[in-house]
Amino acid sequence: MSGESVPIALPLSPFATDSVEAATLYRELRKPLLRYLICLGLSSDEAQDVVQDAFLSLHRHLAAGGSQENIRSWLFRVAHNQARNRQNRYDRRFGTPIDAEKHLPLDQATPELAVLEKEKFQRLAKAICSLTVAERECLLLRAGGLRYREIAEVLELSISTVGDTVSRAMKKLVEKCDV
Amino acid sequence: MCDSSEKLVAWLDHELPANEAVQVERHLDACSECRGRLDAYKEVSAAFDAYCDAASWPRARRSRALPAAIAAGAVAALLALFLVQTRVSVPPHARITPPPANPPTVVRSPASSSATVTHLPPSPMENVRHRHLVATAPRPDASWPPAEPAVQIAIPAEALFPPGATPEGVSFVADLSIAPDGSAQRLRLRPQLIGLERSQP
Repeated sequence: MSGESVPIALPLSPFATDSVEAATLYRELRKPLLRYLICLGLSSDEAQDVVQDAFLSLHRHLAAGGSQENIRSWLFRVAHNQARNRQNRYDRRFGTPIDAEKHLPLDQATPELAVLEKEKFQRLAKAICSLTVAERECLLLRAGGLRYREIAEVLELSISTVGDTVSRAMKKLVEKCDV
Repeated sequence: MCDSSEKLVAWLDHELPANEAVQVERHLDACSECRGRLDAYKEVSAAFDAYCDAASWPRARRSRALPAAIAAGAVAALLALFLVQTRVSVPPHARITPPPANPPTVVRSPASSSATVTHLPPSPMENVRHRHLVATAPRPDASWPPAEPAVQIAIPAEALFPPGATPEGVSFVADLSIAPDGSAQRLRLRPQLIGLERSQP
């Protein structure tokens, strides 16, 4: 792990000086996990807490001889369940449409956002809010790069239900966004 | 509405079995309506992704300032800790024993006999608890070759941060070298989860 020897190498990766494999996992999944949790309604600080906890749980899981299969969906499931436990603030984010003016100032816009017209963005925001919780969660996990099999594990659904839910949610978004 | 239109999203996500994927591809060649739907799905996927970024990005950006602040605080605390220690009169047996002159760049494990764990007498900084002070050879690190004798200090996280500020089990290791005049230089702080290596195959 000498490659990470930037002086004072924070944020606090629990794997900073240990297994390369674990550190790679942390680097790859930390950001998608954070984004998923924030989109579920957690604050940035809460999301950071949950992600740290999830990786420490993973450490304990592996130390206890737990399965090394499907680590990605394992982490998302742990994080998802912890977010569920903070239900009081659960729907804060996607329960109300985010404001394009507030969230898309020109100087902050990524290239992807720049091409996203403001009006279309507002329509999408409303369309996302009209989805069911399951539809939203499926799309969020899909946007996090998870396969249907992994989404099924996180949300404890069958794979075919995930496929149907994703398809239905996408159809709704296309119709309501008038793409 | 074509039969295949129900499978377009699954096809886009590479979730269809090979035989069904082939059917969808054949159908797409023939049906401009479904090609249009597929494009719409692609566009909405990208827009949804961008929306997620927009929803989390302002928060994610703010959060990046936090680790930096923690780092700055940790460095200040460590420097204070070390400077106080150097002023405290330490019994000879508890002094940090530097490795021999011209230390080899090959590094030994801290578990080797050269590592000594000493407990310092109570210092004026009672609120900073230092559990152990480890003097050992420097770790291998191509990007940070210490020219002078170097030491590592393991510090429990609760000595630096208020309770609950860091996950349980995380501690910090400070690498630093000591200049001839006794001052601490080239300080580097690394978080560490002790015992993790046991979990790896």
